[in-house]
Amino acid sequence: MKDYIENVIKPKIEGDGGEVEFESYVNGELTLVFRGECSKCLILERCVKWIKAEIKRDKGENVKIYAIRKKPFFWDS
Amino acid sequence: MGHIKVTRRSMRPEEYTALRFGWLKRYVLENLYEIDSLSIRDARQINENEYEYYSDDYRQLKKGDMYFTPDGTSFIKGDVKIPAELWEKELWLYLKTAAEIVVKVNGKYVGGVDPNRDRILLSPYIDSETLHFEMQGYNRSKPDDERNPESLSVRGCRQVFEGAYLCTVNHAVLDLVYDFEVLLDIAGSELFNEDYRAFLNRELNNAMNCIDFDCEPITGIDEAKSYIENVIYSNTDYKGNGDVALVAHSHLDLAYYWRRIHTVQKNLRTVLLQLRLMDRYPEYKYTHTQAYTYETLEKYYPEVFDELKKRVSEGRFEPVGAMYVEPDCNIPSAESLIRQCLYGQNYFREKFGKTVNNCWLPDVFGNSWILPQILKKSRVDYFVSNKMSTWNDTNRFPHNNFIWRGIDGSEVGACVPPTHFITWNMPSQIQENWEAYQDKNIGGQTMSMFGYGDGGSGVTEEMLEMMKRFEKLSVMPKTEHVGGSEFLEKNLKDNDKLAKWDGELYLEMHRGTFTTKSVLKQYNRSLEFKLREAEIISVLRAATGIRYPKEVLTKCYKKLLINQFHDILPGSHINPVYKDAVKDYEWIDKKLDLILNVENTDKYFNSLNFKRTAVTFIEDEKGFNQRHGKKGFWTVPALPAMASGKLIDKTTTDSSWIKIGDKIETPYYIISFGDDGSILSLYDKELNREWVNGEFNKLKVYDDKPGVYDAWDILPNYKEKELGFELASPLKLLSKNSEVAELTVLVKIGESKWKRIIRLFKQSKGIEVENIVDWQEKHKLVKAQFDCNVLTREAVCDLSAGFIKRETHKNTSWQQARFEVCHHKWCDLAETGGGVALINEGKYGVGFGESSMSLSLLRATERPDPYSDLGFHNFCYLIMPHAGDCVSAEINKTAYEYNVPLVHSEVSCANTFDGLYLEAMKQSEKDETVIVRLSEQDGTRGVLKFPKPVKVMNMLEDVLYETDTLEYKPFEIITIGI
Repeated sequence: MKDYIENVIKPKIEGDGGEVEFESYVNGELTLVFRGECSKCLILERCVKWIKAEIKRDKGENVKIYAIRKKPFFWDS
Repeated sequence: MGHIKVTRRSMRPEEYTALRFGWLKRYVLENLYEIDSLSIRDARQINENEYEYYSDDYRQLKKGDMYFTPDGTSFIKGDVKIPAELWEKELWLYLKTAAEIVVKVNGKYVGGVDPNRDRILLSPYIDSETLHFEMQGYNRSKPDDERNPESLSVRGCRQVFEGAYLCTVNHAVLDLVYDFEVLLDIAGSELFNEDYRAFLNRELNNAMNCIDFDCEPITGIDEAKSYIENVIYSNTDYKGNGDVALVAHSHLDLAYYWRRIHTVQKNLRTVLLQLRLMDRYPEYKYTHTQAYTYETLEKYYPEVFDELKKRVSEGRFEPVGAMYVEPDCNIPSAESLIRQCLYGQNYFREKFGKTVNNCWLPDVFGNSWILPQILKKSRVDYFVSNKMSTWNDTNRFPHNNFIWRGIDGSEVGACVPPTHFITWNMPSQIQENWEAYQDKNIGGQTMSMFGYGDGGSGVTEEMLEMMKRFEKLSVMPKTEHVGGSEFLEKNLKDNDKLAKWDGELYLEMHRGTFTTKSVLKQYNRSLEFKLREAEIISVLRAATGIRYPKEVLTKCYKKLLINQFHDILPGSHINPVYKDAVKDYEWIDKKLDLILNVENTDKYFNSLNFKRTAVTFIEDEKGFNQRHGKKGFWTVPALPAMASGKLIDKTTTDSSWIKIGDKIETPYYIISFGDDGSILSLYDKELNREWVNGEFNKLKVYDDKPGVYDAWDILPNYKEKELGFELASPLKLLSKNSEVAELTVLVKIGESKWKRIIRLFKQSKGIEVENIVDWQEKHKLVKAQFDCNVLTREAVCDLSAGFIKRETHKNTSWQQARFEVCHHKWCDLAETGGGVALINEGKYGVGFGESSMSLSLLRATERPDPYSDLGFHNFCYLIMPHAGDCVSAEINKTAYEYNVPLVHSEVSCANTFDGLYLEAMKQSEKDETVIVRLSEQDGTRGVLKFPKPVKVMNMLEDVLYETDTLEYKPFEIITIGI
């Protein structure tokens, strides 16, 4: 899962100025850290749903995703 | 008791007008017919016009469906039969979207939709009752137009499809909408006369009262229109003043929050949309920059390019900006900037028969003093750049229309428009421009650019409709829609009243871009010189009958030039852009190696047109020493100018030239080092003087948190919080032999390891510091500090084709603002008897204080790229104390030797052009003439004599005249053909 997030999902997110990092994957619960533009995206949940669907399609796994936003200091108001 | 601001109240008349304006807009579209036959295929672009798809086929696309994916491109198609009730009517496509979509109908490009425009006129481009739609969209989650609230509100990677419709437009309503839009903008802007705004608010309310919104359809549109014409437009009691030229333009970053591969489509859409506006508005003219973008359009969309060509010939689509791309104008060398003009102008000449007379760099982060000469000699008379007026953080740049005088005395007419290069042509923006314009009495008109940028795709119908109404508004400045050249010729040509600015156009912002993404800067420097080497050697080989690899060299140069774009080389971009740039640099490097490494010889060629006298590292697997991870040896090559010869490794283990104890004594110095590699004392035995007065070669780590413009800026107070470092392994001797002694130290900065190797030489006064860094920090700036025992008030900085003197004191806000500046190969602090130079191989940022220099080494920014500068770095700099000033000490020559590689070749050249620096030797773009570029860089005059007459040329390689004797003046760049 780590490899999939880093090599399949991450480059796509980066292309939009966002950033996703694999944090953990335990018992079907996937925790991802979103940085960059993603950290302040108003509709991040749509993207998270898309990642979930991509995982289902590519890896055949149903995962629950926990999205953690880490804003750089200048957006962390 | 004082005044209490009332915040809870009922709707005021002007608010009711605004509310009804929203209602009115709902009646613009009529006869909406939903296209329910669309299907979509999601993809991701992986190269120019290459995609990987998420599915093998299309899926249905219905209203309410999600569409677009992160970094996604989507292809949408569908067939629709025009319903009978829409036959014979003016037909439009309506599609509201956050994406940038280009639309083809029945195989023809009809236009595009995006956050700034949601409908396309179809009728003139269709000739059948069945329409086959093909759409391609790129969804930018980071729209450029953050100033456009509508654009901002729809950002995000995943979008909800709001449906696509065939429809008609109620032009009476639309016309009225534009009337209200222009007038409401004035009514809401404090820049206009207060009484006029009160008049407007009252009368717009009255005009809106003509409309009965309770009827279906609404009534009173014509009455409202008449009311506005008769009461508002006909009122001339309120007089505005000013004269504003409106220039249509769309700024286009080749890469920024998107990769260069996406710009192919961004550019297509931008061009296409402007062409479609030209179809409808015969008076409309538009300016477009960057020969590179024209090239991609020609390559991938020849039918649109053909249309563009036609409009160019009509004078309505105007190529502006003579350069190949809009490059950064701080970091690229003189030769790179010359090539920007050469390749740019050649393209415009070849395709359109035009030599562009202006340089158009709205968004560039400051401009080098060497530029006016390069422009003038590239047939460019005018320069346009917006940043200094709108972004300076300390001083107001004092001119908008002026003469810019360059380092050699060349002059160009310059325009720094008073406002941003992206505006949407609203009266308030035009008024703001006029009020900010500082050359009202002498400069003629002021320039206001309008049009969205960066895929926002330029001018909209709305902006042109606004413009039609300006002449009816007495309160506004006089306006005129003009082309770029037209404006410049009209207002700057032969205008002897213009003020003159003699010096660099320093941008008081974005000072971090001299340092951010260190690797790109290092690549750029090394490849600039490697290209120089490859061209010179190829020319000299061609004299022996070996084919000159013109095509490959041109490709290499163009790739280098593209990566000098002002959001690539400066480092202000997302991580994929960085990866693309590195890939390009590696490609260039390999291609040049293939050109350079064809001779099977053990001789080295000195491409410099002076004898090499500086100690130099020669790569050799059998060598005793190591530098940049490669084995080799140190020697003084002593190769004559433009000649080749063998270099023998004479290194022995005899290190008797150096004495190492508490102090270290070399033939030149007695040195005391600190444990961290800083130099506590550097006593010069030849000059009997001390060079150190404080911290010298000391690493300084600062908290570097500029805020949102993270990659761009260093704040003036960056020194307030110094973070320090931990000494992991104190300075110790690493090696010594007959040529060099190496000391090494390891420090830890946060999680990062920073190894320094300090080299002392037997045959050079130079002290080299190699830095090998594993960099894992965030928001830290590392500098090397040099407090020199030198009394001076000015620093001298190399500009790559001459030098600039910069004050080191902080007497006025102008010096205070220049706390970090750009330099090229070297900088120098000197008093009459001598000084200290710092020579680098790719570090451009430096700060000066009283007798001090601080060379910026690394940053660690987070936006736009969270991984910026993380990882491995290896770079060197050379500390070079000297007698006399930097010119008499020939620091520039030493810096050339430090940067120009010695490569294996047996070529040679009899003519060495003594007195000038050989910048380039290449084959002409037109034929096999050998082009030689020489530059005077020491500020002297002289005469160059040739054995036979040579062709004196401009930088576009046009022959000007022939002569065998050429006088040159300080800082002149000369191009000759042989």
